[in-house]
Amino acid sequence: VLQWPQISKCRSPEMETFSCYWTDGNFYNLTAPRTIQLLYMKSIDEDWKDCPDYITSGENSCYFNSSYTSIWVSYCVQLASKNEVFDKKCFSVEEIVLPDPPVHINWTLLNTSHTGLHADIQVRWDPPPTADVQKGWITLEYELQYKEVNETKWKELKPRVSTMVPLYSLKTGRDYEIRLRSRQRTSEKFGEFSEILYVSFSEPDSDCFQCTEEIGFPWFLAVTFGACGLAVTLILILLSKQPRLKMFIFPPVPVPKIKGIDPDLLKKGKLDEVNSILASHGDYKTKLYNDDLWVEFIELDIEDPDEKNRISDTDRLLSDDHLKSHSCLGAKDDDSGRASCCEPDIPETDFSASDTCDAISDSDQFRKASEKEEDLLCLDRKDDDESLASFANTDTQHRHMNTQSGNIQLWPPFADNIDSPRPLVHAQISNQNSLTNTDFYAQVSDITPAGRVVLSPGQKSKVERAQRGGCTEQNFTMDNTYFCEADVKKCIAVTSHEEDEPHVQEQSYNEDAYFTTESLTTTSINLGASTAETPSAETPVPDYTSIHIVHSPQGLVLNATALPVPDKEFNMSCGYVSTDQLNKIMP
Amino acid sequence: TKEGVTSLPICPNGSINCQVSLEELFDRAVKLSHYIHALSSEMFNEFDERYAQGRGFIAKAVNGCHTSSLTTPEDKEQAQQIHHEDLLNLVVGVLRSWNDPLIHLASEVQRIKEAPETILWKAVEIEEQNKRLLEGMEKIVGRLHFGEPGNEIYSQWEGLPSLQLADEDSRLFAFYNLLHCLRRDSHKIDNYLKLLKCRLIHENNC
Repeated sequence: VLQWPQISKCRSPEMETFSCYWTDGNFYNLTAPRTIQLLYMKSIDEDWKDCPDYITSGENSCYFNSSYTSIWVSYCVQLASKNEVFDKKCFSVEEIVLPDPPVHINWTLLNTSHTGLHADIQVRWDPPPTADVQKGWITLEYELQYKEVNETKWKELKPRVSTMVPLYSLKTGRDYEIRLRSRQRTSEKFGEFSEILYVSFSEPDSDCFQCTEEIGFPWFLAVTFGACGLAVTLILILLSKQPRLKMFIFPPVPVPKIKGIDPDLLKKGKLDEVNSILASHGDYKTKLYNDDLWVEFIELDIEDPDEKNRISDTDRLLSDDHLKSHSCLGAKDDDSGRASCCEPDIPETDFSASDTCDAISDSDQFRKASEKEEDLLCLDRKDDDESLASFANTDTQHRHMNTQSGNIQLWPPFADNIDSPRPLVHAQISNQNSLTNTDFYAQVSDITPAGRVVLSPGQKSKVERAQRGGCTEQNFTMDNTYFCEADVKKCIAVTSHEEDEPHVQEQSYNEDAYFTTESLTTTSINLGASTAETPSAETPVPDYTSIHIVHSPQGLVLNATALPVPDKEFNMSCGYVSTDQLNKIMP
Repeated sequence: TKEGVTSLPICPNGSINCQVSLEELFDRAVKLSHYIHALSSEMFNEFDERYAQGRGFIAKAVNGCHTSSLTTPEDKEQAQQIHHEDLLNLVVGVLRSWNDPLIHLASEVQRIKEAPETILWKAVEIEEQNKRLLEGMEKIVGRLHFGEPGNEIYSQWEGLPSLQLADEDSRLFAFYNLLHCLRRDSHKIDNYLKLLKCRLIHENNC
């Protein structure tokens, strides 16, 4: 392989002179004796000149002394033979500064440890003599490296300007090697290393006790024993029958709970017990509830826990049998646990699977129970029977916002949750007719005695319903917020809403704002009329509303979508009452 | 890396007669000049890496810098022979001559396609620090009671059009040149100041 002559490097040790070095290659084996020249050119406007000194720097070198050297000036050098140019390099002298190594390196002992096994030393050196540091012509940085004699890897210290550095905690029993190199402070490249300095300490004091290898603290043993001891202690605590100690070390993680409500009790579902608990909260007058109804579906809850029944319930719940895979309608598989769903003021409650199942089963039962009772319940609202019946098996699935009774499960489904992924519900809803647009929940508007759940219609059908009969005159106050939906339907105003979407009025809410979602919807429509305020065009009426505040014991305050409710006599036939109504009835 | 050179108040207590020692002034000046040179070096290296590879800029053997017209000492002997007043005036003159190009550098470098953030930041930083160094040097010059200020030492920079050339290659070469000159001149200033410091403050015994 033919190797051309090459300029290997150009270097200035002190920024006053410089030299260039080249390699021959094997060129000369093939041609006449050497005629290689190094030509240089200073700045652009001069000619190529021959090297002034081929000797001083050794073979294959060219030395430029201080008279030829100018700093901050461009040089170009080229390696040529006769007319053939082999290599060329351009540079400025300040760019090729690689200082000589420091000299006069020595060390002194600073102090020794008590055991005599470690020592600190101070290493000193002088700058290379070629570099004029004193006049400030060049500023140098130094890097020290050291290692034990039999090690392979050098430890490096940070480059520094000072000419001394301490080395701490060297082992007196070992020998060390130290070397130094320097560079111009603004450069990156270091010069050559100095010669190695050997450090060895004198014999340790023969009086010293543990002159052998110092035993480090037995960390390994300490950690192992400590861990074992701790583990044993913990196991003993766990196994101990002392609950207090156990609680002290491992405090139980509190689950959310409603004061006074025992979730276990709710699970078991004894109505009487539940009622008594609730009664203790003040105004919960649970006795008024149709025990039969409750018993009915609570029983169902207990006795038919298996999925199949639930599924069938939900089938009935929905006119279309689109129940695919999920046992619980809208049950979301999440880890929140049963108890958490009882939190009344969590706005975005994601129903735990079991709760929703319960809810569904309840509503199923409700529906079953009240389907036949439909007429019974709303006897004086005959004109609405048809409408009731018409959406008895509506497509949309509605969630019953039933906040009374033993079901402390307050499910404030709201608009936000529309978007939450509910695969089951979504599947069902998607199969439903186009009347619905947003519903992920179905509102149970009523429950027939047979146990069928009457669902509120979709929004559009609500609209249609809303078209009928207006009751702009009706004075809906906020006090009594339950009313039979038949009532409401009468009161649905036509005027104030847009065609497709009944809108929720931003209403101030009041205490005792219990609603069925549907009644909310319808009332919203109504309200729009009664307040003569056009509902905003943006939001579709949700079939549910969110619970804003739990105004225990009066009830819940629903948020802005909550609607006023007509002040009516308590009507048992609707199957549920507001607490206000209860209050009126109960002394 | 940024050194975090901060500006200490010249008269911390606000008293009228307070004077920072000349030593302190030189210390700060040297720190600043070192910092500026470090930034210029880094900036040049980054630019070289990013834009100059394969374009043979180096082989074109750097064109003269606009400050070449100023006669400055070019080796140690010349630097030792020049009087410190003259040297200081030269330093101030070079710094002044770089005021204008640095301002334009900071603004024009932003127009380079996909200029790295570090280059942009350094250009701005150098321009700022250069101003501060100039102020410091003028203070030193005032302190040493020179007869006449070195106002005449100045070299006009004409290179703005070349930084705005349409042809990208030519434009990048113009930047390369300017950055190369900046690195060189900042090294020169740094060296002169260290020389002066050792000469005036430490009596040639740094």
